[in-house]
Amino acid sequence: MKPVIELIDITKVFDLVHHKQTTLKAAILSFKRIPPQKLLAIKDLNLSVPQGEALAIVGKNGSGKSTLLRIIGRVYKPTSGTLTVDGRMSTMLDLGAGFHPDLTGRENIFFNAAVMGLSTAQVRDKIDQIIDFSELNSFIDTPVRTYSAGMLMRLGFAIAVETDPDILLIDEVLAVGDAAFQEKCYDRIDEFKTAGKTIVFVTHDLDAARAVATRTIWFDKGEIRADGNTQEVIDSYLTTVPAHHYQEKNQ
Amino acid sequence: MIEEIKELLRFKDLLKQLVIRDLKVRYKNSVLGFFWSLLNPLVQVATITIVVKYIMRLDIANYSAYLLVGYLPWVFFQMALLDSSQVILMHRDLIRKVYFPRELLPLSAVIANLIHFILALVVFFVYLLVYRIFLHGAPIMASVAWLPILILLQTLLLTGLTFVVSCMNVFFEDTKYLLTVLLNVLFYLTPVMYVSELVYTRLPHAHQGLLFKLYLLMPLNMLTEAYRKTLLPAFHGVMGGVPIESVPLDYMMLAVCAAICIISAIGGYAYFNARKWVFAERI
Repeated sequence: MKPVIELIDITKVFDLVHHKQTTLKAAILSFKRIPPQKLLAIKDLNLSVPQGEALAIVGKNGSGKSTLLRIIGRVYKPTSGTLTVDGRMSTMLDLGAGFHPDLTGRENIFFNAAVMGLSTAQVRDKIDQIIDFSELNSFIDTPVRTYSAGMLMRLGFAIAVETDPDILLIDEVLAVGDAAFQEKCYDRIDEFKTAGKTIVFVTHDLDAARAVATRTIWFDKGEIRADGNTQEVIDSYLTTVPAHHYQEKNQ
Repeated sequence: MIEEIKELLRFKDLLKQLVIRDLKVRYKNSVLGFFWSLLNPLVQVATITIVVKYIMRLDIANYSAYLLVGYLPWVFFQMALLDSSQVILMHRDLIRKVYFPRELLPLSAVIANLIHFILALVVFFVYLLVYRIFLHGAPIMASVAWLPILILLQTLLLTGLTFVVSCMNVFFEDTKYLLTVLLNVLFYLTPVMYVSELVYTRLPHAHQGLLFKLYLLMPLNMLTEAYRKTLLPAFHGVMGGVPIESVPLDYMMLAVCAAICIISAIGGYAYFNARKWVFAERI
């Protein structure tokens, strides 16, 4: 199948900004410029995701997983390399990102869907589905600042999936929902897969990766350490994680 | 830049949502809504009228109309710049998490304030009509037809400036303080409280004409002049026993001003585009 997401030789270098330097005074007065420290977050990455794949990205904190997801989601521009994305993308990189606390759930749906590139008319067609999926019917006209983390996640996920994207990017947010809603999310993700849509998600929940992913990559220090069959990749990843730690998490 | 504008058009509904959200949040929980935003300029205008007309004794018939016609565009200018200095930081969450054309944010600050400005102008025209009917005030003139062009020019000027200001504030957070100081100074340098003819008479006689053209080269000075002279008839004033006569609008300088406004929009956009993808890493 043809790739819907393709990264060729992607490198991302961050300038570590020292906060003292960001004032105008400092910029004018510092005659000898301290060269900014560089952080190499992603090194020469090549990755191609075919249509219909559910790709999980696992790895330790600080390995560059989220940076990779943000590059795919076009939040960060890569320092070098090319990214091609074919199709409309829904992103869910954080709980309640882009919700305005003073506006109601309904008003925020219109806003958030517009951020994902939908027209107001398209949102109007889908708003009932979104509200139904989120199970927030009785709260939808109250300001979002009164919502709990679980409610924010439900609304965010409902918008992300019910707006019918071709590609879905998720960064470790499903853990907040209760068991029943998580179940519903995974069902929806399964439907997504059968409909031939593409999912890329970052997770620390290895059971979720096993349940959903058709392919997994293990990301370590800005590079792909292993790529392929989910079970095999997770097994080799687990050899680097202290065993007692994982057992504790599993209990 | 053509590609960027195409992408912008694809997201025009988001721009609409940003503006609606801005207006809604501003007036949420206040019954009087729009009238609160009108109250401040009206009180200001009343105060300045008392100071200028009765204390400083610039005697122009129907002075508050001449003041208001300069003050409303000034409020548009000031508020759009102040709002835009904060707009990127205010949408930190969104910028760090989602792709969308970043320029929508300063644009939404300009458009939300443009809507205020237009609503305020409606109130201004009602005021003119009431004055005309009951107090035999200034007639509404045919040159009002210039108004859409002047609004467009001011919007272009502001678009360019807000692109620069919103972007600079990401890298230097002092920008907003510096901006407040500059705006305070600019308010007195722009012919809002006084008329530009007064400036003209104070210039050294040797190069009076040339210096006045330089003065009008400041786009906001020229725009204030143009609003005043197209919306209101020529005035007759006296200050310190010396008569001040209204000078007709300098269309040549207005054309120069139009060019500056267009250059401002294009230049500001180029400046913003060169930096907009770094915001997510800096804020």
